[in-house]
Amino acid sequence: MEIQSVLPPPPRYPITQITTSPSGQTTGQTVLEMSNVLTHPSGPEYQLSVGEGTYILQDNLHLATPPPHPQDAPIVNSNPLATTPAPPKAGIKLTICITSPRKSSPQLYRVNTSTSTRSNLGTYSIRESEKESRSSNETNSNAATTQLPSSNTSGRTPVFGEDNILLTPVAGKEGVKKKKPKTNLVKSNSQFISRVILHDSLNKRLQEHNPEGMFVFANIDRAYQWLDLSSPAPARAQPLMKILFAKAHMLCHDINSLTKGPNHIDVVMGASTGDIVWFEAYSQKYVRVNKNNIISASAVSQIRWLPGSENLFLASHMDGSLIVYDKERDDAAFIPETNGASTFTQNSFDPDLKPFHINKSVNSKNQKANPVASWKISNHRITDFGFSPDSRHLAVVSEDGSLRIINYLKEQLTDLYPSYYGAFSCVCWSPDGKYVLTGGQDDLVSIWSLAERRIVARCPGHHSWVTAVAFDPWRCDNRNYRFGSVGEDRRLLLWDFNVGMLRRPKAASIRNRASISSNVPIGRHRTESHATSRLRSTSSLDDDGVNADELVEHEVESRTVTAELPPVMSKVIDEHPLSLVGFDEECIVTACVEGHVRVWKRPQDGLSP
Amino acid sequence: MSSFFSRIRSGGGTSSPLAGSSPAKKDPNALQITPLEKYLLDVPLGPSQDNGSDKFWGLENFGNTCYCNSILQCLYYSVPFREQVINYPKRSPLDSVTTTSTGQARIDPDAVILPPNHPSLTSAKLMKQQPVQNSARNPGGPPATPKPEDKEHPDFKKRVAQARGPTLSMDYDNAAAYGMPESLFTSLKDIFEALLAHKSNVGVVSPTKFLEVLRRENEMFRSAMHQDAHEFLNLLLNEVVANVEVHSKKLEEEKGMNGHAEKTGFEKSLASAMLKTTPSTTGWVHELFEGTLTSETKCLTCENVSQRDEAFLDLSVDLDEHSSVTACLRKFSEEEMLCERNKFHCDRCGGLQEAEKRMKIKRLPKILALHLKRFKYTEDLQRLQKLFHRVVYPYHLRLFNTTDDAEDPDRLYELYAVVVHIGGGPYHGHYISIVKTEERGWLLFDDEMVEPVDRSYVQNFFGDRPGLACAYVLFYQETTLEAVKREQDAESLAAAAKAVVEIPKEPVGLGLKTNGFMNGIQHVKSAVTPTSDEDTNGYVSLDKAVTEPPPHAQIAASSSEVTALPQMPSRTPNEETKSKKERLKEEKERKAVAKITARQEEKAERERLKNLEVKRKEVSKKADADTKAAMQASKASKAEEDHRDAAENVNKDGAAASASASVPLPTGGLGRFKSSSKSFRNSKLWGGSRDSNKDEPFAEENGAEATTPLDRSKNRFSNLRKKTSNMML
Repeated sequence: MEIQSVLPPPPRYPITQITTSPSGQTTGQTVLEMSNVLTHPSGPEYQLSVGEGTYILQDNLHLATPPPHPQDAPIVNSNPLATTPAPPKAGIKLTICITSPRKSSPQLYRVNTSTSTRSNLGTYSIRESEKESRSSNETNSNAATTQLPSSNTSGRTPVFGEDNILLTPVAGKEGVKKKKPKTNLVKSNSQFISRVILHDSLNKRLQEHNPEGMFVFANIDRAYQWLDLSSPAPARAQPLMKILFAKAHMLCHDINSLTKGPNHIDVVMGASTGDIVWFEAYSQKYVRVNKNNIISASAVSQIRWLPGSENLFLASHMDGSLIVYDKERDDAAFIPETNGASTFTQNSFDPDLKPFHINKSVNSKNQKANPVASWKISNHRITDFGFSPDSRHLAVVSEDGSLRIINYLKEQLTDLYPSYYGAFSCVCWSPDGKYVLTGGQDDLVSIWSLAERRIVARCPGHHSWVTAVAFDPWRCDNRNYRFGSVGEDRRLLLWDFNVGMLRRPKAASIRNRASISSNVPIGRHRTESHATSRLRSTSSLDDDGVNADELVEHEVESRTVTAELPPVMSKVIDEHPLSLVGFDEECIVTACVEGHVRVWKRPQDGLSP
Repeated sequence: MSSFFSRIRSGGGTSSPLAGSSPAKKDPNALQITPLEKYLLDVPLGPSQDNGSDKFWGLENFGNTCYCNSILQCLYYSVPFREQVINYPKRSPLDSVTTTSTGQARIDPDAVILPPNHPSLTSAKLMKQQPVQNSARNPGGPPATPKPEDKEHPDFKKRVAQARGPTLSMDYDNAAAYGMPESLFTSLKDIFEALLAHKSNVGVVSPTKFLEVLRRENEMFRSAMHQDAHEFLNLLLNEVVANVEVHSKKLEEEKGMNGHAEKTGFEKSLASAMLKTTPSTTGWVHELFEGTLTSETKCLTCENVSQRDEAFLDLSVDLDEHSSVTACLRKFSEEEMLCERNKFHCDRCGGLQEAEKRMKIKRLPKILALHLKRFKYTEDLQRLQKLFHRVVYPYHLRLFNTTDDAEDPDRLYELYAVVVHIGGGPYHGHYISIVKTEERGWLLFDDEMVEPVDRSYVQNFFGDRPGLACAYVLFYQETTLEAVKREQDAESLAAAAKAVVEIPKEPVGLGLKTNGFMNGIQHVKSAVTPTSDEDTNGYVSLDKAVTEPPPHAQIAASSSEVTALPQMPSRTPNEETKSKKERLKEEKERKAVAKITARQEEKAERERLKNLEVKRKEVSKKADADTKAAMQASKASKAEEDHRDAAENVNKDGAAASASASVPLPTGGLGRFKSSSKSFRNSKLWGGSRDSNKDEPFAEENGAEATTPLDRSKNRFSNLRKKTSNMML
């Protein structure tokens, strides 16, 4: 101790300036409202070489991070160990919208050919409008029934909540003029919205907008921007409109592909504070849902319009609940309807251990107010979900490391797949609905087959967690699939997947180490259409899938027996962890957590493989 | 040195000016109760555990001893490790903890050990300490209110923890009672046993003896300078291995001599007690932490592939920017070229050749300690530098870099402890640990302070955040998907229960809380305070419990020692409280509606929860018993083996001699481990007498290993250390 008293006490919580936080906020004195910066860097490091040619970086748009809200002045917090929970953050997410209902894009796959899929960037639903999907229904449902034993065999895609008379729209939807929200964004004096900045020549730019061109909605920090990426260069960087929220950080958003048109875009967005905003872009009007967290106080991690619905959308909250809201309905304080309200509640009386707990069924008699339906599926954060192209299923991934396939029309959980290890962070459906991709904290992209109800392949190649996955419908046909993935490692990886070409690992050549689900011989997985693993329910599965709606909890397949797929391209494309990848007819779009949106032009020499 | 350590400090003694007076209006105790205590009060612990899992003690920092504290906490909550430390050596029930061997053991469970207040406690934090007093000793009187300062600051929290006590001063050793010479192991065991025996669930341990032994025996740690926590972990594990092996060796000798030599009654009974319970569990450190790496070296000249196995107690992985632990491990097993100065001596071509080498994991350890090499030597600067790469770590892990013949290559690991280094460089800074405890989930251990934290808090230390705090050592333990699922189910149950129980805080709650705390701190287990109407969310409570609203700006300004620190954006307190109020109001209204149902539900819920919990415990106990039985069986067989060995080694005299010359010792655990699948072949090969070679079937191939077995084993364990030590200089 004598020595101690001589020595100066060491710096225990050292004082150093670190300028950037993960959200890109400079913690210094940047008070200026920055504007977006558009650059066009070139060189070999801005090119992606794949079999079909070279993708070249066309635009590098750096979205400006807004300064902190004046009331929200940063508080000194020197302590790196501060236990006060920080609000959840998400990287930049983009919703891309092309307003014109274009003719079919040069897709190579047959299903859904009548559907324009341009808008599936950022949204996973392929369908553009109900009309179109109905026309393609024959193929669609045929495919679906063969793939998904649980699918209804009727030729028409059922609509969510159609059995509940209380949910049928008051007027026929065809003729009705699209409804707009009530409150004007610009004139609003809500505490919720800090400021709205409209482009000086907004109307002119909107008139000049090519309906084939790409609108992009992007969230960054507390700002939400509406961009027109098809406009000429200098103006392209400037948002048509920018909304600055006071406290809420938008984490996710989606446009309604059914109602969108040349002068109407319905956007719904979910915030870190749990707030939800329905916003119509052209009229700049909005409505708040879940105001004051009356329904859920938990942050919204993902939000999507229900396929084929003008009004309903589904939000996943970070407390592990999925809630269907109606944009037209008022909110009411929500008390879980525990008993009897739902005819679909599974027989067990124990509400807590059930992996899919219906807090409010869509068939509830009480449909005067939001929520329309509410399901609790996990105690962990739901990270992402996606609707199947046939509008019957929902794939939900969560931090508890499970992929859940939910028949949301019937409000039933059918499959529960575990990750290899760690949380899942993203999910998407193949354009034909046969496969689901997931990415997660095991650094893997995993391919799951819905028809075979098992994992098809694991895709190692990322050097860190995978944050987003997407199919490239322009390079998919009924046998070959192209998809891309991005991760915390700042890499974009492209993959070509062909079921027939999958290589099995050397397998159990040394000795039979079996899969982790040791009780089942591995070989049987392959041949049977339903999973062979442990069933939670006591009833057995028939081969014709009568009981296919029973929940099947799948086991982890051992690394030694699961096929692995190598990437066809892997490249570090940004200085920061990436948060989004999407495909469009002419380009690949990526975004990073610091606000860099990059547009990679497809190879010039045509699209044929 | 020892006199320096025998000076113990107590938190108590200073009588406060307010002592004895009736509690002030603004109850200062509200400031005093630590978030952990509140958590323990809100969600009372079950019946006291005899395995130590319900003890949450801080460790006193004696100036830069945080490297030690953080590692000790991780090891304490490594359940099998703690159990083994406590159970080794096996002792008869007579040798309870209270045995006074040196006349100093004072672990009277009731006594809060409060040596006379020592005025000079040197470090600056203690100088600031006078206003707070040990209320555990003086439960009636509220302590003086400390001058307003940042209550979120760790130093403040530590002082509170220290002041609240009880303080357990570990300045004695019980080594003789264990029949062992004083060593790091015995002093570690002393600490664990003292914690187990103590009635309080919380408190502060002063590990003076442990540090004394550490510094006496290891020059490296003698200075009061900042030390490397990973170095310390490695040293400690190796020391524990050595201590235990020396001891069991001695036991074997005694056993051998048992018939002949006369002994004092005490020794005899001790020895027989140990014999009865099969003493040779020496392999347990190996069994827990040790894995095997296979390094395959392919000579590029003759294409000959040679394999060599080496044991590891932890893995040190290089870091890449923006990578994950998974990727770092993959990289660890990537092919490496041995060329230029690093050429490989090929036995077949005879001479130094270029070669390709790759290391894969052949046997997966039960506890995987991963050391992230954050301190890297940079040529330019001629010194070590800390890497602030963002390296993400998942809560669960499997290893991709296993050999094709590895047993259970898909073994699932679960993250249960993280040692975090805070600071700009390798030569200074601070270590803390975040540990998942069986009873209370994730806790933050920062020297004296223990605080419950959210699960997501664990992933705050990837390295890219402001504040310079980075994960440095990660502890993963083996688990199964079923166990993970069970835990998740339990969590959602708890959450459901919480949702039902949660009722908005009322002013009444404050009084209750204080009362509960006043009784509760002394005997938390018995004080079943009516907690159902309190918020279970422990850590937000501190600032809520404060009745005088502390203007945040003021606090920020008044935290005098923290100046010019990087600012982190956060919410304005006013807004926050406002919205909280709103929310509370709403919640109240809602609750009023649901109150009646909630009450009933709550009852049923709790009942059910309890039943479930009991069931779960039964199951796990049963599983425990099973494994124990299995272990007993294996121990028995090992005992036989050891007996034979011992008989051959009777002549070796003295502990020191046996340490240097003993043949089978260092590998006892290893050899036994392999015995399940491979020893069969090995024992045929080597026979019983030379079983030191058992574990190294490939050693012969390399020829370079003509050292004595002990040396070899030492090398083996230091192997990985070398990698780090050349970087640590």
